[in-house]
Amino acid sequence: MQKKSTDKAFFSRSGIELKSFYTGDDIPDGHRDRAAAAPGEAPYHRGFHTSGYRSKPWRIFQLSGFGKPEDENERIKFLLKNGETGFIMEHDRNTADHCYNVDHPEVVARREDVGLTGAVMQSVRDTAICMDGLPVDSSFGHAGGAVVQHAPFALAAYWTVAKQRGFDLAKLPGTGQSDFNLTYLGCVTKEQIPTLPGLQFNADIIEFCDRYLPYWVPVSIAGYNAADTGLSPDQELGVLFANAVEYLDEIKRRGSVDLIKAAKACGGVSFRASIEFIEEACKMRAARLMWADLLRERYGISDPKVANLRIHCVTAGSKMTYQQPLNNIVRGTLMALGAVFGGVQSLGVSGYDEALSIPSEHAHQMSVRIQQILQEETGIANVTDPLGGSYYVETITAQLAEKAWEFFEEIQNQGGYLATLDSGWLHARAAENQYKEFMDMENGDQQVIGVNCFQDDESPFEVDGFMGTDDAFDVATARLQDVLRTRHEKAATAALKQLEADCRSDTNIMPAMMEAMSAEVTLGEIGNVYREVFGNWNTPIQT
Amino acid sequence: MQKRILMAKTGLDGHWRGPTIVARALRDAGFEVIMIGMANTDDIVTSAVDEDVDLVGLNVGGHIDVAIRAIENVRNARPELPIFAGGTITPRAAKQLEGLGVEVYPPGSQLTDIVDAAERLTGTK
Repeated sequence: MQKKSTDKAFFSRSGIELKSFYTGDDIPDGHRDRAAAAPGEAPYHRGFHTSGYRSKPWRIFQLSGFGKPEDENERIKFLLKNGETGFIMEHDRNTADHCYNVDHPEVVARREDVGLTGAVMQSVRDTAICMDGLPVDSSFGHAGGAVVQHAPFALAAYWTVAKQRGFDLAKLPGTGQSDFNLTYLGCVTKEQIPTLPGLQFNADIIEFCDRYLPYWVPVSIAGYNAADTGLSPDQELGVLFANAVEYLDEIKRRGSVDLIKAAKACGGVSFRASIEFIEEACKMRAARLMWADLLRERYGISDPKVANLRIHCVTAGSKMTYQQPLNNIVRGTLMALGAVFGGVQSLGVSGYDEALSIPSEHAHQMSVRIQQILQEETGIANVTDPLGGSYYVETITAQLAEKAWEFFEEIQNQGGYLATLDSGWLHARAAENQYKEFMDMENGDQQVIGVNCFQDDESPFEVDGFMGTDDAFDVATARLQDVLRTRHEKAATAALKQLEADCRSDTNIMPAMMEAMSAEVTLGEIGNVYREVFGNWNTPIQT
Repeated sequence: MQKRILMAKTGLDGHWRGPTIVARALRDAGFEVIMIGMANTDDIVTSAVDEDVDLVGLNVGGHIDVAIRAIENVRNARPELPIFAGGTITPRAAKQLEGLGVEVYPPGSQLTDIVDAAERLTGTK
């Protein structure tokens, strides 16, 4: 290990200077009294429930999907059989994120990529294949639709299939995410509706779920996608709440949904759990505290417990190394531990082959096993907020919240969250951090085992990437032609026309989207409407 | 004269950390970097010819066959033009690219090695 001199300063990832030890005097004055609260008491940083994981273990919730819808269905069933307690339906990013059908020239040009990052679902028929036999009523399902312009389609397709199978939408649990940080910051697409119509889409989804799907988490803000793009833990917190107030302010402006219910709807969020896992645990604790403060101070929600923050966590994909990939099993375990110390409600652990490809079946199973070992063997789930009261943890929790509010204010000073996406201000903050992180590794300040130290060219642990199936494009092409040939054309045309009309007005688009699904309108046709009506977001970065 | 490097992503996948960091390091080392982002084979060939670049850098995030198609088409248009690649390229795919004379810099590569390669491939050093 690198020798460290005693006069060197040490900093957390958020730039908080660390002492070599902490005492009660270090806890900031404003936090000392609050820190003494029990779980279930304001300010809720220790959790909203006294019984924690005793009464409700965290959900084992892994990203999954590739190939044809039936390949994805098979993998999800494999994960459920192995003990996953929710499921995620990934859509092929090439088609889904851009709302292209597979016959779009940009997709045809990359036909081998199709199916590599999720199953191709261009119509409700594909979604039905992917959902075949899945426990949509008893398990928390992720319908896909992580990207904003794709979410209304992915959700409506999932709900339509569920309805056709006789499930009651009023009891259906799940989410579709529709995340701004992914869409406009972390994974900028080639074509995307601008941020303002994006905000309207998400407000439409919130309204629609309030009315018809009360158990559904309509949108889920993902700090993860900001953090894995480079934002530090304090910035991740700040940006998440800056995003949340855009949604809540818009809902308040519309006046159509009770604000407490809207706050609850927006309170299912996700964070990244990175490798500096104590700071990450503090981040989850700070998040609950901040949410309670925000709801009380900005929206006058007097008991923020009614809209408690539910946190899903994903371990940092970018921390998984290409070299010596089995080391990533240890990294995944430690990052998961940080999330659990932070009291998260749901968790996904990145595959040990994350730096190479989407997870192989073996890597996927290992991600589930890591969580099961934590839940069943370590005893960590027996006591709520095990780090609570630690001088160090309480100090960092309070300092993180303070720094995060500063970043939140900086975003407001830049004109608000949407403005910082449109201008590229957030991308610049992420790029600064990316570069620093990279240079720290380059000059050896940050040692990464197997990458810039303890390399081993003769590694016996070589793993090759998982490349899914090779027939996804051909099958999707044939199925697209089949839908277009056999659907009720008049109904499809009428539904698409109605959707276009609603996109052009301030009518909620979700009822028309549901009609479009029933009429078997395809993803690419909907994308064409968006491109016609909304145009393309002016990307502030060149990717 | 300042050497010019074309950088493109072969996939429709929007992860931008890797290519952005590499582009910055190359600019800091004195290269002119032309980023065309997510580009299909035709876009890459057109830019490689029109921009009269000295080196092509491909960010590969998907299937290796997509990158190979781009490489073969660039080679047809400008047989002498060197190409290097980075991104989530599996060990097996890396061997395929190396077999085509393309240097590969997978995740975890040092920026100094990438800059050295750019200087060597463009004859700057």
